[in-house]
Amino acid sequence: MEVKQAEDAAVINMKILLKIICFILCVPTCFSQTKDTVVSYKKRVLETVEVDVLSSYYKQTGSNAAVTGGIGNEELTDITPTIVVSLPLNADDVLTVDFGISAYTSASSSNLDPFDASGASAGFDNDDNDDDGQNGQSNSNITGSPWVASSGASRQDVWGNLSVSYAHNSDDRNKIWSAHGSVSTEYDYFSVGFGGSYSRLFNQKNTEIGISGQVYLDKWLPRYPTELDSYLEVNGDLNQGFFQGVTILDQNGQASSGWSPIDGFALIQDKSRNTFSASLSFSQILSKNAQFSLFLDVVQQKGWLGNPMQRVYFADRANYFIGNANSIPNYTSPDNTDVFQLADDIERLPISRFKIPIGARFNYYLNETFVLRTYYRYYTDNWGIKSHTASLEVPIKVSGKFTLYPNYRFYTQTAANYFAPFEQNVSTQEYYTSDFDLSKFEAHQYGFGVGYTDIFTSFKIFKFGLKSINLRYNHYNRSTGLNANIISGAFKFMLD
Amino acid sequence: MKALPILFVLALSWQSCVTVKEYEKVNLNDPDMKLTAHVCERFETNFQVYREGSSGANGGKAGGGCGCN
Repeated sequence: MEVKQAEDAAVINMKILLKIICFILCVPTCFSQTKDTVVSYKKRVLETVEVDVLSSYYKQTGSNAAVTGGIGNEELTDITPTIVVSLPLNADDVLTVDFGISAYTSASSSNLDPFDASGASAGFDNDDNDDDGQNGQSNSNITGSPWVASSGASRQDVWGNLSVSYAHNSDDRNKIWSAHGSVSTEYDYFSVGFGGSYSRLFNQKNTEIGISGQVYLDKWLPRYPTELDSYLEVNGDLNQGFFQGVTILDQNGQASSGWSPIDGFALIQDKSRNTFSASLSFSQILSKNAQFSLFLDVVQQKGWLGNPMQRVYFADRANYFIGNANSIPNYTSPDNTDVFQLADDIERLPISRFKIPIGARFNYYLNETFVLRTYYRYYTDNWGIKSHTASLEVPIKVSGKFTLYPNYRFYTQTAANYFAPFEQNVSTQEYYTSDFDLSKFEAHQYGFGVGYTDIFTSFKIFKFGLKSINLRYNHYNRSTGLNANIISGAFKFMLD
Repeated sequence: MKALPILFVLALSWQSCVTVKEYEKVNLNDPDMKLTAHVCERFETNFQVYREGSSGANGGKAGGGCGCN
């Protein structure tokens, strides 16, 4: 009997032992299955190919053209078709290709050679080269004006840009790094850029810190005001080349041979313009309805930071003109259509600039209809410019598909140390410019946008479904008198 | 500018004050709550960089790529 009880007890103990062993063996298996499940159901960073088709139309008017020394027609139009394609390479990685052009016509740039309109440049060809007049024909009737757009090649240009970026997300989506490269070109400028960034999310994705660096290695393919490089080409002989047969007038309208650029005038030697920037960003969720972010950039620029197209006229040098002598007293009036003042120099600016902008965004979800989007930036640099930017946008969801975007932006800046208006710089200064973009001013921008979203992408073009449309109009008004209007649109498509 | 380091320290210390769970982020995940500019705004930012003396700190580039700023 005792033996039988002992055998039963042994069997029971064996069963318990087997159960424990099975349990121990099963636990890691269960965990591994759980892990496998997580991996197989990992949400992709980007579910499918997305294509953004973007464009804008920009038009400005103003009377402070920098190419003509701070006065003159600033009319400009610009159209910018752009396409951005985002490709999910796998669950974690996204490749983005961004290609765009900017095709513009500019009255200001056209006056790199203001004499084209009269045939000065000389109707012999239609470019901005200063070879005109070299074939022995007379240029005696040429005119030009800072208020009249010229017809030379510089009146229009196309800026093209291609950039490629690659982003990798960690499995837990708490770490993101990216790298990018870009190249852009226009007729007087070429740029190559590259950079990278790293972001880290903490605190159940309530906090994000990011760091990034960018380098742009740019190069001028400089174009100069036609009278200035013509002067160098003929070694100062005002009876040769561009100046052959041209009557140069003094302030009193009398023929004169006294004009010359500033002593020691020379074309630029260092044609590089390099930019090195480092950025820090921090974002934080404040509540279920509020979040904010901070951005800090540190930017160092080196090289030719002025624009070789932009003329400067000095107050302490005599004035000389080409064109109609009777219009000289009205030179600064838009009524002047037929006389042009010869430049003293191009703008000269320091070869180094250090900039620190710091910005912040704060967004608040008021309710199902209204959202507040705010932005502020303080900027300072070692050229003496300090600026404040503030903007507010209030998206209004009028239905499940449509949102309205009324917005307002205020901007104010102090002048650069080297800025003075037309004829107010003096030749004894080391640096000078009459570019009103570097002057003291305030600007107001206000506008309106409409957004349409269809999460079901019902409308199809081939295999792509339309996910959203965004259209915006904004008016920009600067206290210097410059006005601009911009219409922009974005269409987002997703591959089915 | 002296306030800058203080601002960042304050910002960094903020994270310990609040934690919103994933399932509580419905409103924060609204597309209009993104802490970035709208895609369309790139064109406005572009002309502002040309027409104004300052740039940067808006999540975009702070120089290079064109003869402006």
